[in-house]
Amino acid sequence: MGRLFLFYRLMIRPLLKEPVRAALTIFAVTLGVAVVLAMDLAGNAATGSFRASMETLAGDNDLEIVASGGVPEAIVGSLATLPYYIRISPRMEDSAVLADSNQTLPLIGLDLVAEANADGGGRALVTSSDKTFETNEDTIRQLQKADSIWVGASLGKKLGDRVRLLINDQVREFTVRGVYPDSNGSESAVVMDLATAQRALNRFGSVDRILLNVPEPPALDEWEQRVRAILPTGVEVRAQGTGTIENRRMLAAFRWNLQLLSYIALIVGAFLIYNTISVSVVRRRPETGIVRALGASRNAVLVAFLGEAAFFGVTGALFGLPMGRLMASGAVKLMAATVESLYVSSRPGAIALSAWSVALAFVIGVGVAVVSAYSPAREASLVSPVEAMARGRREYKTRVHKSRDLLLALVLAIAAAGASRAPAMQGKPVFGYLAAILLVAASALAVPAFTDAILSQSSRWLGKVLGVEALLGSQSLSASLRRTSVLVGALSTAIAMMVSVGIMVGSFRETVLIWMNDRLPADLYLRPAGAPAPDRHPTVSLELADKISKLPGVAGIDRLRAYEISLDGMPATLASVDLSAFRRDNQSSFLSGRPTAQVLAEIRDSKAVLVSEPFTYKHHVRAGDSITFSLGAARPSFRIADIYYDYGSERGTILMDRQTMLRYLPDPTPSNLAIYLMPGTSLEAARNEILQASSGYRVLLASNRDLRAEAIRIFDRTFAITYALEAVAVIVAVMGVAGALLALVIDRRREIGLLRFLGASAGQVHKQILVEAGLLGLLANFAGLALGFALSLVLIFVINKQSFGWTIRFHWPVAVLLGAISVVYAATVLSGLYPAQVAVGLNPLEAVHEE
Amino acid sequence: MKSRLAVLGAALLFLQPLTAQYRTALPGYRFEFPRDYFDHPDFQTEWWYYTGNLKSSTGHRYGFELTFFRAAVSRDAVPSETWDVKDLYLTHLALSDLDGRHFYYKERVNRAGPGIAGVSASKGRVWNGNWQIQWQGTDQKLDAVEREFQLNLNLHPQKPPVVHGENGVSQKSGGAGQASYYISLTRLAASGELELNGEKLEVSGLAWMDHEFFTHQLDPDQIGWDWLSLQLDDNTELMLFRIRRKNGSVDPYSAGTYIDLQGKSTHLRAADFMLQPLTESWTSIDTRATYPIAWKIAIPKLEIELEVHTALAAQELVGKTKIAPSYWEGAIYLEGKRGKASLGGVGYLEMTGYDRPVRLSPQP
Repeated sequence: MGRLFLFYRLMIRPLLKEPVRAALTIFAVTLGVAVVLAMDLAGNAATGSFRASMETLAGDNDLEIVASGGVPEAIVGSLATLPYYIRISPRMEDSAVLADSNQTLPLIGLDLVAEANADGGGRALVTSSDKTFETNEDTIRQLQKADSIWVGASLGKKLGDRVRLLINDQVREFTVRGVYPDSNGSESAVVMDLATAQRALNRFGSVDRILLNVPEPPALDEWEQRVRAILPTGVEVRAQGTGTIENRRMLAAFRWNLQLLSYIALIVGAFLIYNTISVSVVRRRPETGIVRALGASRNAVLVAFLGEAAFFGVTGALFGLPMGRLMASGAVKLMAATVESLYVSSRPGAIALSAWSVALAFVIGVGVAVVSAYSPAREASLVSPVEAMARGRREYKTRVHKSRDLLLALVLAIAAAGASRAPAMQGKPVFGYLAAILLVAASALAVPAFTDAILSQSSRWLGKVLGVEALLGSQSLSASLRRTSVLVGALSTAIAMMVSVGIMVGSFRETVLIWMNDRLPADLYLRPAGAPAPDRHPTVSLELADKISKLPGVAGIDRLRAYEISLDGMPATLASVDLSAFRRDNQSSFLSGRPTAQVLAEIRDSKAVLVSEPFTYKHHVRAGDSITFSLGAARPSFRIADIYYDYGSERGTILMDRQTMLRYLPDPTPSNLAIYLMPGTSLEAARNEILQASSGYRVLLASNRDLRAEAIRIFDRTFAITYALEAVAVIVAVMGVAGALLALVIDRRREIGLLRFLGASAGQVHKQILVEAGLLGLLANFAGLALGFALSLVLIFVINKQSFGWTIRFHWPVAVLLGAISVVYAATVLSGLYPAQVAVGLNPLEAVHEE
Repeated sequence: MKSRLAVLGAALLFLQPLTAQYRTALPGYRFEFPRDYFDHPDFQTEWWYYTGNLKSSTGHRYGFELTFFRAAVSRDAVPSETWDVKDLYLTHLALSDLDGRHFYYKERVNRAGPGIAGVSASKGRVWNGNWQIQWQGTDQKLDAVEREFQLNLNLHPQKPPVVHGENGVSQKSGGAGQASYYISLTRLAASGELELNGEKLEVSGLAWMDHEFFTHQLDPDQIGWDWLSLQLDDNTELMLFRIRRKNGSVDPYSAGTYIDLQGKSTHLRAADFMLQPLTESWTSIDTRATYPIAWKIAIPKLEIELEVHTALAAQELVGKTKIAPSYWEGAIYLEGKRGKASLGGVGYLEMTGYDRPVRLSPQP
């Protein structure tokens, strides 16, 4: 009873009296929790629980056989005749685009005859649910028709429908011979018989994967050994779904970074709770004194204030849960887009709100609230009853230890510098983030000194320039230094985050722009139509390539061919290109800085390769190292001749001479063409010529400029989620400022009342509050810019480098930053409008009467 | 000839109407061994049929069946690729645990693909995945792996190959080409190993091999047949089949072959033998078909009178994919006499068309 009374008296009643402020604080917690939760859920769906689209219809098998560039199909025969009771499913795995809707679908070729052998007659390989794709006599009858396909029901096609599919650079018409049940579109694919698929893809002699279903015992290891015994060197057997696991591994760092970014919104929220509780402590000093005098222990007071914080936390989490779930739906789309453009074509899994996510939301909400409230709550508990109840000492003089804090800030900053030099831990820039956190803490500690210094300097000339109201505002901020510092700290952290990410993204963008100038030396680029993805490499018909190379305006073409390979438990891209003489790039795009011509000469028709910069980080290699990987049926080693900058993909790429690749993978079909024009040929004329030559093929022809524009578009899309996170943090902070100003106003109603009583006009009071808001914004912007700059260095040179391996050149994105800061500043000042209104509305008589 | 037809025919039926692309079985074919043990891609349908009665060293009796069907699907002239379905290879594997009273069977269908299934004269091999016959000289090694059992046998022919029918063709109905080329190895000494549910058994016994190839359709009035291979204790063998007509009568193209001690064969016309079901029957739960599982045989000119019984009534193979129709094919034993002397033996019995009429091609 006593406890409850205490809680009511100290907490509930004041809260009820200030519903707006309480609501704002709760909303800040809500936003923080929602963002963290949304990132967690979306990250899980987009990168964690996703299945590589090629796992569609893969069913539940035990092992898979893969090889770079395809598994020689004779292996299927060898496996089929092994004296073991095993089930084998060879597959072609590629993609096709529905020509009418432009939807890209996995194209899967299966041995539809052998599928009939499954237990239960006509089993399913197939969907992860218990639904099946059945082979029966009808399936086999349709096999003879070369245009037969089977599709998932969710595509809405009917038996006999004609479907136009873009496969590589050709559109062909197919007929739907069957529809299999799939679940809500997440698993629909175009299924063909192997024979049809090989023809459609124009790839013969190999399959992309062989799935194996084996009985147990013996153990899987034993099966792996038995199977490996009959495989050529370059062909690997491994657990099914390894590709998916490898993809997840590749995405781990990306996901981790997004998640940590989301915590920044929470840190901002923490500042706000700290602020709210501090204000509560100050405001309720008399009440605290009374309950203490009535016999409440220090602990009771501590618990009461922490209880208030916990209330904010719980309520915030309650609202944050549904909001986070809602935000996750949006975030998952953005994330999936990033994953698609940088990593792998995937389908995000369903967003699953697990008990764990709910617990996470509450732990975060309550945890952050209680932790950030602890210090002010403790101060409240230390107040002696007499002191608290003493009349005339209404303003609690915060004990700010400016110099001690400044010293501590310096220590933390030095620690941050140290942490930024430490290497990554398991591919994760743990110390980079530690450095960032230390910097934020250092800045929080330095803010009081900074605020004090600026305010004491500014008061005088502010008074002269803006009048007495400004002087009063400035001095009032200065007087409640701690509260002011907390507000500046919160807002500046949000601004710093915005600034640092802004600088990082801006620098990155600039770097990419410069890089593309070096990297795209050709005049025109041609690739098969259809949406690009880093792990899909549709091909251009050989005849078309030949035709184009012979056009009068064309000086020559480079043929690029890419494959997906697996290397050290991580996916990578293997590409080959003609090292023709047409290249006009003189600038070095290599880490060593050596001239391009020299490096290329080194890898021409040799066992030397180039690797991309992200590759070196993913696989821990350096120039001069040797790498060994499966290639066709062999497993050769290559020397890394040099490393090139690559901002186009985070997967990591190995680049070799076309001749070298053809020795292992003899398929001459290119994935892309780089077309060099004769000097003096007009781009438009050449383009028309090439388009004419390509009639009958579905290809995209892009000029150098188009390609750059497209790359930057993808780049911007990639960072959309980052911008969204920043925006949330800034919104939280601005709302915090509004709430805090409101508190300030209510807290100072006596002072304001006195001013009005002494003759201050409503306009003057209004102005004072707005000046305070403006000053807060200004202080926060300065502090935020400084901290943001420091953080951006950590982001660019430590966190980015350690997670992704990109070398980014520092660049101030002046326009973007100015724009963003102005918006925040305007928002801060505007957020002062309502508190100013409240201040004006105070009844001076009533206020003074309290006095 | 036999049910094999049925099975196979069914595989065919949807595949393609018969066309002039394929040769038909006409009199005057010159058989050449070992070449004719292997495939004849000019004919639409072909099968290799291994059945046998085995005994383990502990006296347990087993029957087995391993049948490879080849059904030509397409002989299109376009350049063909590995995975094109030129033939379907449909294979049935069955094991009758006669004393354990359990019947195991499995169906497997494949295309040739990159060595998944096929027939190769040069390699002396007939296979569908890991079910295969490997010729070594005149011996045949039979290997088959299934979930519950694995069978590895060596089959040693004790008599030369038999060509059934007259003038080298086994006529099935009226009209030129309504016939098959049909050869058998009627007495194969079988020995080897059977691993059943983890237990390894030494087994030995007698096996029979049929090989038949043709391009034809059954007369629409013919609804099924009953076929028997009989290995008599006096070292002679009999092959008998009767074709049943819609109206319940026995088709006059029913026929048989008698193989004497030296391996010399004698063609038996429908009029030469009597083949009649006794009352004992078994009804399948799966197909509701009722099969007569005991038979009476009389061949007056050979003075042979036999009764056919089985130790296991349930030996029906149900085509789960519906690619093949269901049929009963099982190990049997014989009791009877030749002249005055009592005569026993073992064999295999095949009965088709009891659940629905067997069709070898689409009905108009």
